Amino acid sequence: MNIILALIPLSLVLLGLGIWAFFWAVNHAQFDDLDTPGLAPLVEDRALPPGAASPAAAESPPPAE
Amino acid sequence: MAERCFHCGEAIAPGSALTALQDGTPRAVCCIGCRAAVEWIEGLGLADYYRLRSEPAARAEAAADFSAWDRPALDRLYVRREGDQAEACVLVGGLRCAACSWLIERALGALPGVAEVSVNPAARRLRLRWEAAVTPLSRLLSALARLGYTAHPLEAGAIDSMAQREQRTALKRLVIAGLGMMQAMMYAVALYAGAFEGMDPLTRDFFRWLGFLVTTPVVLYSAQPFFAGARRELAARRLGMDVPVAFAIALVYVASLAEALRGGGQVYFDSAAMFTFFLLGGRYLEMRARHRAADVVDALARLQPALAQRRTATGAEETVGVHELVPGDVVHVADGATVPADGELLDERCSVDESMLSGESAARARRRGDTLLAGSVLVQGPALLRVTRVGSDTVLSSMLRLIARAGAERPRVAREGERLAAGFVAAVLALTLITAGAWLWFDPARAFPAALAVLVVACPCAFALAVPTALTRALAVLARQGVLVVRADALERLCRVRRVLFDKTGTLTENRLELLSVVCAAGVTREQALALGAALERGSRHPLACALRTAAEGMTLPPAQDLEAIAGQGVRGTLGAESLRLGRASFALGPGAADDGSVVLAGAHGEIARFQLRERVRGEAATTLQALAAQGIALEILSGDAAERVEAVARRLGVATWHARQTPQDKLARLDVLRRGSEGVAMVGDGVNDAPVLAGADVGIALAGAAELSQAHADLVLGGDRLDGLLQARAVALATRRVMRQNLAWAMAYNLGAVPLAALGLVPPWLAAIGMSLSSLGVLLNSLRIAAPDSRPQATPVVAGAVQEVTA
Repeated sequence: MNIILALIPLSLVLLGLGIWAFFWAVNHAQFDDLDTPGLAPLVEDRALPPGAASPAAAESPPPAE
Repeated sequence: MAERCFHCGEAIAPGSALTALQDGTPRAVCCIGCRAAVEWIEGLGLADYYRLRSEPAARAEAAADFSAWDRPALDRLYVRREGDQAEACVLVGGLRCAACSWLIERALGALPGVAEVSVNPAARRLRLRWEAAVTPLSRLLSALARLGYTAHPLEAGAIDSMAQREQRTALKRLVIAGLGMMQAMMYAVALYAGAFEGMDPLTRDFFRWLGFLVTTPVVLYSAQPFFAGARRELAARRLGMDVPVAFAIALVYVASLAEALRGGGQVYFDSAAMFTFFLLGGRYLEMRARHRAADVVDALARLQPALAQRRTATGAEETVGVHELVPGDVVHVADGATVPADGELLDERCSVDESMLSGESAARARRRGDTLLAGSVLVQGPALLRVTRVGSDTVLSSMLRLIARAGAERPRVAREGERLAAGFVAAVLALTLITAGAWLWFDPARAFPAALAVLVVACPCAFALAVPTALTRALAVLARQGVLVVRADALERLCRVRRVLFDKTGTLTENRLELLSVVCAAGVTREQALALGAALERGSRHPLACALRTAAEGMTLPPAQDLEAIAGQGVRGTLGAESLRLGRASFALGPGAADDGSVVLAGAHGEIARFQLRERVRGEAATTLQALAAQGIALEILSGDAAERVEAVARRLGVATWHARQTPQDKLARLDVLRRGSEGVAMVGDGVNDAPVLAGADVGIALAGAAELSQAHADLVLGGDRLDGLLQARAVALATRRVMRQNLAWAMAYNLGAVPLAALGLVPPWLAAIGMSLSSLGVLLNSLRIAAPDSRPQATPVVAGAVQEVTA
């Protein structure tokens, strides 16, 4: 029976870790939007065409280097 | 079937050849704005959006000029700065599914200087943090517009979202309570087993202190809202639900602690934790529903434009914020734009659509010197106006005050379940005290355990869950049917409704006209007349023009030239050598011609054809009204429109009672009269002019296409612009009331049976815990029985009292 004296404190430590992880997740907006991140794996990562990232870059010639 | 736009899914006008190159294939689009959006999204490498989305996008408008947003006067109001970083909150129109927020986050995040883009799809808000020195706000807004969304920056105060913080804290509290409850129950099971099998006092105390350890955060952190609420209620000297709940939690916790210290009797830490968790669960579900209601958006931000074109003394135009306008300024309003402030028309004439403000369905002609109202839309312009009233003095703002007053006067129905539960908890506390007192008299040693057992057995979990679980289930069922319940207690009131008031324009009718008949002059066919009429109305977006174009769909239209629209009169143009006029009889045929309300097409030699138009009644309106009448509900039409148009619609739908030319004040007065008969009154409407009545009625119901302001003050929003959602909402509301009553009866029966036994000291603690859980489970399972009615009623053609006119 003495094993519970070790296992129960261990389970409490794990519980504390779980709660800490959950609080971290809530504070870092992990639970604010549950729909959009689900789409991320469906997207193939394609390299953006150069200059397409900003409207200004697309409209004006690239600065001289 | 006409072709649909690749971007927004709207029908493409026949003959349009606009295409956008996407993924190597040309795709048909409906307008320049949509083409720009498709090509821009493709250029960003975000074309996956079209694969991911579940709803078509909103129609994109051609890109506007946003540079005015960089003016210091606007910047101060809408942007918050911290060092180099600027922060703003934007209300995004056209945000429809998760793919939209994905698209916005990717597209704006790629702009230089942007540090953070976070989209809240439920609230339709976008929070931006960026380096103001690198990128001005106007560039972010124009990027958003190029994607096809409309951007309405919100005042800087909106950045800190109260709702978000509240939601996060509530979620943390709920999870702590849940985890604490599970642990406490595990240790409690060990203790119960020990009570049967024998357990040495040292191990027993070990488990008791473990229970204390995991329950303490639940009571001190998770149950905080109950203690805070109880303090507020006591300070206000009224007894609500929080006082008895907080008292019961504290009592069970402190008593268990005393028992553990004393080393005797029983501890009930698991009950305290479970009690807190179940109650918090109910509260959390209610909070979610409440936030969704608040998300139905700052209506004013959409209704009133934030920018205006001011004409300076030199005659040049500058774009300024609406809050910078002062009476006396001269403002230019473009065709199709919203009027920014009340003012006096300086141009010869224009016509405006005030349907959202007054319910009048036809566009109104305005002449020089007439007043234009803020919030109305210029149908035929442009126009110059001199500002007379701004800000809180405008008619629109007075409407907002009317809404606030009507909402405050709405009779608040105390929730049946909550009232019952609060009374019950108070009774249980009294009973606990009596039990303790009685046992102290007979056998002081058993007083404490018996009193505690009464408290635990009678734990009002089943009561607390009876109402929220039924409501939550009902909300979920209705949401799947497309009916959004903004205020949950509206379902209870919906059961009591004996009379339903309908607005006409936009509610019973669609905001469109349909062609009823064509009377042609000798020698002219119906097709020829329609083709001529449609050709003349080619460029117009007047409802009449749309009706003619719809009727002439598929015909080859002759090319008309020199088209000129005369506001409030009609349109003229030339076709070949003949000059044609289409409009009121007096316009087309010359002054003195008899006006029978129809639209006349005339050439140089007199009348060619007469078109009779009528408002298009929604397909499902007749069946919905019949079904409501069959349930014994009185129907009535309250409209701001002219009497003959209201009468025509009332006759077609078989509604006997109708009132025309009703201002919002008139509608409210009518509501008061009906209310005095003490019957439940529901109002169904869509315009801003209906908003005060929606706020004041027992149940306010808005259509999803309604003005934001109306939606914000409605209790129910019918999705998909379908009226028959009302029938489903009522069916589900009745089922919910039935289930709630069963739940409350069950909880009452269980407690009446168990409490006397507990008071006599006959219930062992493990049985008390099992009984409590089973009674809660019963309530939960019963609530799951609420389901949607089998299917939507089949839409049948409108026949009730329809006026069939024979085409000559």
